[in-house]
Amino acid sequence: MQISPHIGSQLVDLCSALLLLTCFAIVAQRRLSACVDLFALQSAFLVLTAALVAFLTGNHHIYIAAALTGVIKVVIIPRVLKKVIERLNVKRELVMNVNVPAGLLICGALVMLAFFITQPIIPLGFLLTRDSLAIALAIVLIGFFTMIARQKAVSQLIGFLVMENGLFLGATAATYGMPLIVELGVFFDVLIAALIAGIYTNRLQDAFDSVDTSHLTVLKE
Amino acid sequence: MPSLIQSLLLVIAQAIVLLSVSPFLVGLIRKVKARFQCRQGASVFQPYADLAKLFRKQPVISSTASWIFPATPYILFASTLSAGLLVPTFLSQTPLNFAGNIIALVYLLALGTFFLILAGLDTGSAFGGMGSSREALVASLTEPAMILSIFAIALTAGSTNLSTIVHKTALLEGIVTDPSPHLMALAALFIVALAETGRVPVDNPATHLELTMIHEAMVLEYSGRYLALIEWAAGLKLAVFLSLVANVFAPWGIATTLTPSAMGIGLVVYLVKIAGLAVLIGTIECMFAKLRLFRVTDLLGVAFILALLGLLFFYILRS
Repeated sequence: MQISPHIGSQLVDLCSALLLLTCFAIVAQRRLSACVDLFALQSAFLVLTAALVAFLTGNHHIYIAAALTGVIKVVIIPRVLKKVIERLNVKRELVMNVNVPAGLLICGALVMLAFFITQPIIPLGFLLTRDSLAIALAIVLIGFFTMIARQKAVSQLIGFLVMENGLFLGATAATYGMPLIVELGVFFDVLIAALIAGIYTNRLQDAFDSVDTSHLTVLKE
Repeated sequence: MPSLIQSLLLVIAQAIVLLSVSPFLVGLIRKVKARFQCRQGASVFQPYADLAKLFRKQPVISSTASWIFPATPYILFASTLSAGLLVPTFLSQTPLNFAGNIIALVYLLALGTFFLILAGLDTGSAFGGMGSSREALVASLTEPAMILSIFAIALTAGSTNLSTIVHKTALLEGIVTDPSPHLMALAALFIVALAETGRVPVDNPATHLELTMIHEAMVLEYSGRYLALIEWAAGLKLAVFLSLVANVFAPWGIATTLTPSAMGIGLVVYLVKIAGLAVLIGTIECMFAKLRLFRVTDLLGVAFILALLGLLFFYILRS
């Protein structure tokens, strides 16, 4: 079965736009467990995008990367995070440095920034996925913003994982995926980072009775 | 070009479709919710019986009410129905498309809301005033999001006329080269539709609890045929928004010519599409809790930002 490149490019764009949409949902969401669910949904869209790119370009190694994304980011990491949330017994994110409407406006501005930065590059590309590059950059910036705007360790971790999703989409969009060995290394890193951050969050809870990372700036003996 | 008689018949046909389908949509949403809550639920045709009963009852009007109070149901019903006639339902070229574009549609709906807010204040009951104040908050927040999301679509089709937009999209002419603005605008318009029709994350249509009600608080003083007209108009508004979402974003199957067979298929496809959307809304109402009033601004903020991005994506990707 063959799909014309034009339709294929539109489908990839649609999937990346869905990723961006879930980013906004994560920024607007206050409940931690819903944030984790939204991250899992975003990763599922990422799997879809990667599988679509693999199908359209015939680069079979992207299928492996997509499957790994599915296992690690849709199943394992959300489970670990749910466990952490359960143990911490925090249902809500109450401490935010930036309130939700202002955060959304800033994210809107970040998306525009991403589009303006990539605008000179996009017409030079000839890949099917070139328009996704701007969206990938926007997702990285929003993930970064989430890490800054939230004070609790768990939501900062979600911000980090969203950034990683953006990077993966960017790699797929810019070069049809990195070499498989690099992808494997990145996935392993992300998994270990998520596990370590989970343990670190628990230690934080034990030490301060809170997962507010601003406590870490105060010196204690 | 259809003749005058033909246009007139089409206008009447569209009015009949909208009027008859709107109580069904309300009944369908209630049925879906009932099934999700493991209840049998009333028949989907119950709202028709309710309307018939209310039309037979004698209305009671407060002695302190001014002319606004009895006039509002008629103004609301007429403005909502005329807004509905501007939206393509089963035929892509509405016969009244010369009469107004999307901006007229938005402000016809706003006219009804405005009079409903006035009527809520008119009788001087405490609930009415509270409902009006809340409705004014919600209406002022949804309007920018709605206008921007519709503009994002209007830009991709190159016209603010709804018939032209739907016709072009249905024939795959001038359809967007990038789906991202479309997706953003769809998400924004869907949130706006939930807010404007008083559905769960914003308002709960099944409640009579003073902490939660918005629309119900405004119409608490109405009875008899006035209440029937207001309920029917609320159903019509739902039908208008669902038609807008279904036909602007997925107009495939709609009749683009005036042949009877195309129109028959268009009607069936239209009914299936809006029934599907009604089931979706019923499902959403079961999955989410109503937001606190001051959290509604967050939700509508999301809609506004998404609509704004949809608009900007168009300019950035097209330039």
